[in-house]
Amino acid sequence: MDWDQFDLNPKTIAALKKADIKSVKEVLNLSGADLQRLMKLSSADIQCLLKTVSHTLRRNSMLTALQLYQDKDHFTSQHQKLSLGCSVLDNLLKGGIPLVGITELAGESSAGKTQISLQLCLCVQYPYKYGGLESGAVYICTEDVFPSKRLQQLIDQQHKLRADVPAEIIQKIRFGNSIFVEQAADLDTFQQCITRRLSLLLARGMVRLVVIDSIAALFRCEFGAAQSALKARYLQTLGAQLHSLSTRYRTPIMCINQVTDAVSEPEAAQCSCRVEGSRVTPALGITWSNQLLMRLMVSRVSLPGHSPGLAPHCAGSVRTLSVIFAPHLPPSFCYYTVQLEGVKGIK
Amino acid sequence: MQREVGTLPLAPALRARLAAAGFQTAQELLDTGPCGLSKEIGISREEALEALQVVRQECHGDAARTAGGSGATRNCTALELLEEEQTQGFIITFCSALDNILGGGVQLTKITEICGAPGVGKTQLCMQLAVDVQIPECFGGVAGEAVFIDTEGSFMVDRVVDIAAACVQHCHLIAEAQQEEDLRKALETFSLENILSHIYYFRCRDYTELLAQVYLLPEFLSEHSKVRLVVIDGIAFPFRHDFEDLSLRTRLLNGLAQQLIIIANDHKSAVVLTNQMTTRIAQSQSTLVPALGESWGHAATVRLIFHWDNSQRLATLYKSPSQKESTIAYHITSHGFRDVQPPAVTHSTEGTELNPRKRPRTEEEKQQ
Repeated sequence: MDWDQFDLNPKTIAALKKADIKSVKEVLNLSGADLQRLMKLSSADIQCLLKTVSHTLRRNSMLTALQLYQDKDHFTSQHQKLSLGCSVLDNLLKGGIPLVGITELAGESSAGKTQISLQLCLCVQYPYKYGGLESGAVYICTEDVFPSKRLQQLIDQQHKLRADVPAEIIQKIRFGNSIFVEQAADLDTFQQCITRRLSLLLARGMVRLVVIDSIAALFRCEFGAAQSALKARYLQTLGAQLHSLSTRYRTPIMCINQVTDAVSEPEAAQCSCRVEGSRVTPALGITWSNQLLMRLMVSRVSLPGHSPGLAPHCAGSVRTLSVIFAPHLPPSFCYYTVQLEGVKGIK
Repeated sequence: MQREVGTLPLAPALRARLAAAGFQTAQELLDTGPCGLSKEIGISREEALEALQVVRQECHGDAARTAGGSGATRNCTALELLEEEQTQGFIITFCSALDNILGGGVQLTKITEICGAPGVGKTQLCMQLAVDVQIPECFGGVAGEAVFIDTEGSFMVDRVVDIAAACVQHCHLIAEAQQEEDLRKALETFSLENILSHIYYFRCRDYTELLAQVYLLPEFLSEHSKVRLVVIDGIAFPFRHDFEDLSLRTRLLNGLAQQLIIIANDHKSAVVLTNQMTTRIAQSQSTLVPALGESWGHAATVRLIFHWDNSQRLATLYKSPSQKESTIAYHITSHGFRDVQPPAVTHSTEGTELNPRKRPRTEEEKQQ
């Protein structure tokens, strides 16, 4: 760290170099009294040092809420969200997936989680005007093989799903080219993928969506019941890494999670799962829930004979997408079906 | 002048040498002069001159302070403190049940901690308070501004807009019901844009940025003297990963708590922190407890724990120096943080439906 570029007394700079303090983080980690002892300076000098160092780290970092509200710029605005490709689903989420933060999609198997994620991977490639981010996606598979046939089906039918987008624009986008698929079956491979390949793709601006399918699979086998503290630490580190990538590159991270049975009422209540009639809660517990910005749950609804809004040729059953918690959304839900061209909400 | 050498703001090594040489008070140092000093303790003349300058400044400062009457330490009686606390406003939360158990609302000059599982409403309450702190005094508020330090990225400005719009509308209804001139006048400056422009937002991405921001807060609050609320949402998130050495974490958290206490006191503002919950396993039974450890429990003056009971949200006052432990139910509506059953709107002249503890108008105010 080049202390000479800081606006400090030469005496302080000399003392910093002599005490072998190499970074701003070290300065802030030491208490005032420790700094006095190490650098042999008076408390006024140390206060001055702390203020200067803090100023340098936090230059120009204040915004008022009004500035946030009025900011319409693509790259910084909070109003910008990633659309899901269907107006009903977007209305439920008040625009779509927020760009900064980890969003979780939990549900039983075959409820439609992978379908929604695939749809997102295509939606992110559309221009900003149509709710996309003009960039690619990374899809990290941790258990199943990537459903490439289904992806191809979806790509072929995009014009049908996105009737709001002019056909020339859809034709110009090379959907398959911008989806990067990674396989990571255990934690170590996953860590490597995140720290090396993912950061590289994000730094180059080639992707602006990360889908992890699924996060629970990484933790199910490796940790026994007695290692819950270790598992919690891994979860927290992982959550923090993903969070910091999301913040730095303004990229939504969609984590797919599995569900486990809620053993008791309080447990179901704890994880705030009040889906009607079901006693399931998302896996990985409160340690993982603390890392999330938003939690969505999908489930199959068995409603025999109830399909007023469905087209007659539609074969899928009705499913529900519910918002469990989000800082900007009330707990609500909507129905949707999975059709050939993708996931479509039912009004 | 009779200040002890040990209390002067000199480098510790220099103080040790002065003590070893037998100097006890500042007056002795000043009498010796720079040459004598440099010979006695073996430092260069420049260093001696510098040290004496510091001593002289300190003594000047002391004299000015004692002459002025108020200084770094002031004496006051418990009666004065009581009177001060009674005239101090509270920041209401719009949930009268919660205000009741807190004794009026969130107190100024104190640190309040809100703990709860994800999704229970901590950030909602923080956003509500950032709007409510700006309510004009004639409606029962403290007419202050808010600083919002966000470490998790959960501050969604659209939600704040909804909450602020509902608050403005509520005040408009009261003003119309009571038909008083000063209420209407106060509402001219209490608009959505005004409210948003007085919420100062800082985004801290890790604990180093948070520490730096808190070092800079006193200066910021001196420049923006109307700030009456500092929210840190959440304090646990940056400190719960990345620490192999938990003793470092404890030390940093303690230091942070000390600085926040000083900020709350010096600038007469409320500090609100949100904390996560973690599982504690004891004798094959697991319970949810606030995160960051036992010693962090001492940092906050007031601790609220939000939790679920089936699908009802509950708030428990877990720690408070003056109020008893109790639990109430609350709702989060599209307008923000509210009671479960909204209290009946009574059009009394004292505006009690907004704040039963609103300061009664004195005769002088009415005559003005």
